[in-house]
Amino acid sequence: MTQLNLPIESTTLPNGLRVVVSPDRAAPVATVGVYYNIGFRIEPRGRSGFAHLFEHMMFQGSANAGKMVHIKLINSSGGVLNGSTHYDVTNYYESVPSNALDRVLWLEADRMRALKVDDENLRNQRDVVKEEVRVNVLNQPYGGFPWLDLPPIAYRNWSNAHNFYGDFDDLDAATLEDVQKFFKTYYAPSNAVLLILGDVEMDEGFKLAERHFASIPSGPQPDPANIDEPPQIEERRGVVEEKFGALPGIAIGYQAPRRLTPEWYAAAMLDQALHGGRVGRIYRRLVLEQQIAVDADGGIHYPVGDLFDYNGPTLMVTRLLHKSEYSADQTLAAYDQVLDEMKQKGMTSEELDPIKVKFRSNYYSMLEGGHGASIPRYGLMHLLACFTLFDNEPRLVNTILGGFMDVTPDAVQSVAQKLLTRHNRSIVIRQPAKKGAA
Amino acid sequence: MASVPRSEGNAAIPALTAARPVIWPQRVRTTLANGLEVVLVESHTIPKFTGQLFFRSGNAVTAATAPGLADMTATVARTGTTARTSRQIEEDLRRMGADLSSGAGADTSAVSFAGLAEFSSDLLRLVAELTQQASFPAEEFERERRQLVEGLKIERTTPGFLASERFRRVLFGAHPYGTISPTEAQAAGYRLEQLKDFYRQYYRPGNALLVLVGDFSPQEMLARIEEIFGSWPAGKVEDAPNPVLPELRGRKVYLVHLPGSVQTQVLVGNRAITRKHPDWLPLTLANSIYGGAFNSRLVMNIREDKGYTYSPRSGAHPLRQHGYFSIGAAVRVDVAAATLTEIFYEIDRMRSTPVGEEELADARNYLSGIFSLGLATQDGLAGQLATSTLERLPDDYLETYRARILKLTAAEVLDAAKKYFDSENAQIVMVGDRAQAEAQAAQFGPLEIYDAQGNRI
Repeated sequence: MTQLNLPIESTTLPNGLRVVVSPDRAAPVATVGVYYNIGFRIEPRGRSGFAHLFEHMMFQGSANAGKMVHIKLINSSGGVLNGSTHYDVTNYYESVPSNALDRVLWLEADRMRALKVDDENLRNQRDVVKEEVRVNVLNQPYGGFPWLDLPPIAYRNWSNAHNFYGDFDDLDAATLEDVQKFFKTYYAPSNAVLLILGDVEMDEGFKLAERHFASIPSGPQPDPANIDEPPQIEERRGVVEEKFGALPGIAIGYQAPRRLTPEWYAAAMLDQALHGGRVGRIYRRLVLEQQIAVDADGGIHYPVGDLFDYNGPTLMVTRLLHKSEYSADQTLAAYDQVLDEMKQKGMTSEELDPIKVKFRSNYYSMLEGGHGASIPRYGLMHLLACFTLFDNEPRLVNTILGGFMDVTPDAVQSVAQKLLTRHNRSIVIRQPAKKGAA
Repeated sequence: MASVPRSEGNAAIPALTAARPVIWPQRVRTTLANGLEVVLVESHTIPKFTGQLFFRSGNAVTAATAPGLADMTATVARTGTTARTSRQIEEDLRRMGADLSSGAGADTSAVSFAGLAEFSSDLLRLVAELTQQASFPAEEFERERRQLVEGLKIERTTPGFLASERFRRVLFGAHPYGTISPTEAQAAGYRLEQLKDFYRQYYRPGNALLVLVGDFSPQEMLARIEEIFGSWPAGKVEDAPNPVLPELRGRKVYLVHLPGSVQTQVLVGNRAITRKHPDWLPLTLANSIYGGAFNSRLVMNIREDKGYTYSPRSGAHPLRQHGYFSIGAAVRVDVAAATLTEIFYEIDRMRSTPVGEEELADARNYLSGIFSLGLATQDGLAGQLATSTLERLPDDYLETYRARILKLTAAEVLDAAKKYFDSENAQIVMVGDRAQAEAQAAQFGPLEIYDAQGNRI
């Protein structure tokens, strides 16, 4: 059962906005998403953190809905809303009882049409974002490990390597003019996709999309950004101080294959064999058997993305916290042995077949819920958006599983041999600070 | 002042269309001869099913002697049975496309699982094995205990954890709810025999509830459950009496000193009520207006107006025997006192002035609407069923919840705020570097200072 039959139809409005509708009328709730083809990777130089700061500004007021009106109207309709900034996309989404669908689409169209924000809004959200960075990174044990630690070590192109949450000096330097320019450059209809899921008829979905979005003027497509990386030819290493926690951490990132290539499908199975929770080879060996590490996790585009939502260089990452009595080198040697075994001996179908079953099962759950627990079909929305913006084919949601199910043990071994080499990896060590007198 | 814009000021905003009815799915509820309660609901969103097997005994049971023991018992119970090794268990789960976790909160222990519908019998058999025939291998126990101790060390550097730990101790004192976590020494002192005792005593069908939601026919599933769990020997559990609660008079401030903090975590509140209390829904609505939603007064004030914090939230938290109300925010170090001033300002406003009709209607709609979002996923449904069944709420709780919310009045909200937002006796916890936080903390009441290990300094 690898071919799904979710009803998915799509169209493009004359202004370039792509629209995807996927009805499911079982429950009277609908999920709406608008995805823009802009992530933190290609924010302007000297403006690190700007794509995310801008995402906050999208809640501060638009042409006909002033500050807080978006939030008030969604909450008072019985719904929830949020937005998030990723490497290559930024999303805005709502889940509501379906009688609010018309209203939600009006709101999303209003802020695609024009932002209406002022300096006071910008100052306010700059403060909010700084507290977000503090609560998630600067004031937490292992904050930003490894998602903010690895890029500056692994990459040479600023777009891929910079601090995505933003240096505070850069956040302070951001102006209202930057906000409007960013909006003009990246938030044109032709750089976006609208998704309507859940309790709506197919025709009605497209009609509503047309009614609210068709009159938004088209804008020029942004110039394609250069996010290429020069080929990596040597192992890269760095050390970051851990201010709070006492356990040392190590994260290892291997440059991962491009999406939808044969190697990518095989790498996804390799990733499941190596990571994949307690049954994965790394957790089993390092945590359960040798007990060098106390935690091990990882994945492709981990931990702030997934297998599907990147469109440029990314890493397959392993994150380890290990006991202080083992050195970083000892831990790494044990880790390397797990990888070497995979490269030398590969895997049998006795291992690969259950991995495929688990992958299929995870995929269903992702479509139904995904990482936004209170947003039904968040995962389906996310996949439809990425397949539309990156590949121009939302229906890949129905067929993509087949590619993973066709991977052979040999393919996994050869992708392991190709990917898991010293010169293809970057390593960051989270080194606990020497504690002074408390 | 954060002013709430009025929606009717703009004629362009589309009105809500007629709502389609929310139809709660039929539940199959039964109790097996051995006392196991079962609740089943079919949901065909995906070809999977999800479930939880609860025991109505959690960490509260052993809080006086070995805090966290129920959690450790649940953790080690998934690492071996008389028929399967730890590795076999993990590999079998993968073969079934299943996820499984086990753990305990204050009031319950639970095994939670989800897997492909085509393997539901196999997965239920494994769950039955973990909860009836766990073998508690010594080496698995030793490893899990060490991992727990390392995890506790990290928790002691996490502001959110330190704030909750102190707050619960202040509100509940020697009552089991006053302890949310073992110390490292207590965890290191767990003995395997204690885990086995807990398991023998509390993992009994008369103490258990099985909730299943997913892609199955309830009648077939019921037969399967009877076959798999019917032979579990009966056994019931009696609740132990608990110590009295501390009397909390006047505001007091507790500062946990975390050197090097670049933010101050604030947590304020007081004891409140359980979900069974007749005031539960009015309190829920009052909380939603105060600080329980994005579009709430506190969030508008200290985030959207003043920019002090990223994610302020208030919550009414029900436990089985008692409940509490709390307000939390991680704020810039120089505005901790200003934040508390706004928190109390908004509390006092809730306690003194009835909310207006529009704000009331908006909040009622919000609670009613987000409740029905739970219908759309197997996990959402399972969570709602577990809550209503575990707490032995009325059978029609889910069906009538929205109507009861939509009937609440401004007078009921005002009354709930007066009773349960106890401004005068609020307990205040702050976690931060005392160099910045101490003087600000002292403005709000008698101050006690602790280190991250819980020692008074």
